[in-house]
Amino acid sequence: MQLNFNQLWRYQDEFLHGIQMTLTLTLIATVFGLAIGLAGASLSRSRFAPVRIAIATYVELIRNTPALIQIFLIFFVLPYAGLRFPPFYAAAVALSIYMGAYAVEIFRSGLASIPKSQIEAGQCLGLSKFQVFRHVILPPALRNIYPSLTSQIILVLLGSSLASQVSAEELFHTAAFVESRTFRSFEVYAVVCAIYFVMVLSLRLLFSGFERIAFRWPTRR
Amino acid sequence: MALVEINNVRKTFGELEVLKGVTIEVEKGEIVTIIGRSGSGKSTLLRCINGLEQIDSGEIRIGEQVVHAKSTDLRKLRQHVGIVFQQFNLFPHMSVERNITLAPILAGRVQKGAAARELALKVLTQVGLAEKIDAYPEQLSGGQQQRVAIARCLAMSPDLMLFDEVTSALDPELVGEVLKVMEDLARQGMTMILVTHEMGFARNVASKIVFMHAGKVHEQGPPAELFANPATPELQNFISSTR
Ligand SMILES: Nc1ncnc2c1ncn2[C@@H]1O[C@H](COP(=O)(O)OP(=O)(O)O)[C@@H](O)[C@H]1O
Ligand SMILES: [Mg+2]
Repeated sequence: MQLNFNQLWRYQDEFLHGIQMTLTLTLIATVFGLAIGLAGASLSRSRFAPVRIAIATYVELIRNTPALIQIFLIFFVLPYAGLRFPPFYAAAVALSIYMGAYAVEIFRSGLASIPKSQIEAGQCLGLSKFQVFRHVILPPALRNIYPSLTSQIILVLLGSSLASQVSAEELFHTAAFVESRTFRSFEVYAVVCAIYFVMVLSLRLLFSGFERIAFRWPTRR
Repeated sequence: MALVEINNVRKTFGELEVLKGVTIEVEKGEIVTIIGRSGSGKSTLLRCINGLEQIDSGEIRIGEQVVHAKSTDLRKLRQHVGIVFQQFNLFPHMSVERNITLAPILAGRVQKGAAARELALKVLTQVGLAEKIDAYPEQLSGGQQQRVAIARCLAMSPDLMLFDEVTSALDPELVGEVLKVMEDLARQGMTMILVTHEMGFARNVASKIVFMHAGKVHEQGPPAELFANPATPELQNFISSTR
């Protein structure tokens, strides 16, 4: 087999566009997923059983079915509900819902990791429920779940390649397009694989840099 | 009128009746020390006083406020009633300064910044830890953490302070520094209700000793009398077991 990467150079702009879209998808899914996760985790401590059951159902449905099928369902089913999204946005919605379910579980374990005595100490100082949540529970909970949360974001970045299946224009979609033009399958996928690798690696560096800035207080152990 | 009036308070956890009609009065400036065996309901009583626990019947009044009345704003009440726990319960992710100033800032008592820092310095000086203002709890010894916890209460200028076995989790050599801070507070006229196993401290500092047994106030009185002439065999036993 003779390798030939030269032809791929012509598609620089397409690759750049794909990278940009993949990162945008990941960013959207992360932002909305974290919002869903935080809200869902807080609500899952609700006194009202129907609320808790609704959240548990959502989490279990998403976590126990393939992401690809979720994307298909959202892309093909939503139009019947009068919601017609272009593929990219349908994929963004699907990935947000996907990320959200995992984030609920992660946030839940984070909130549960804060001892009751800490919450009581906050109450005893005359803090409101929200103030206790914001100042006493959230920062150490975030620190505890930071590793699993960031791993999950990386899984979403890798999983965003599934969006190509509903023709959302992201990196993997670009790869398929370039392959169909050049017929250099191995070269195209090798390059795309390397790009994913570099993106994930950079993201991990970014995350660990942020961790060092955000969570500076010393801990036992 | 007494500052604190605990009147015939009953409290159950499921089947277990922990407080079986407790009545105690605390005058302003008094140091009331609660002693008694483990499980006799001392912590539960303190937690009822600042509304952390509901009560089944009876009444607890602090100043003008009836703690468990529907109309009582517990947040407001707690801004005047400090509590210090056995396990310190400092916030590990906040510096000493932030631990101390969080509540006063959120309550609008002091401005963030220089004024808040000054307040932190003032109360830290009271507990002899001004130089630790920028430390984090994990960097302090148990005794130092407990003194910061006391300073954190003081920053709200409470009318009443509750102490629940605050030296029990400390290594023996660190107990003294915490007791000294509490003695200083007593001398300055702070009203305190404290649960302790430090009988020497109770004897020297308390204005009144309350001996709890089986969910009730079994005996109470000034320390000199109570320790010299315990009226009941339960208290006699308890005193001899702590020697
Ligand atoms: N939240 C709770 N739920 C059930 N039982 C409790 C609870 N808190 C305390 N108790 C029980 O109430 C009794 C009194 O406890 P406590 O007030 O902590 O005693 P003390 O502080 O005098 O050692 C104990 O038997 C304890 O097991
Ligand atoms: Mg106790």
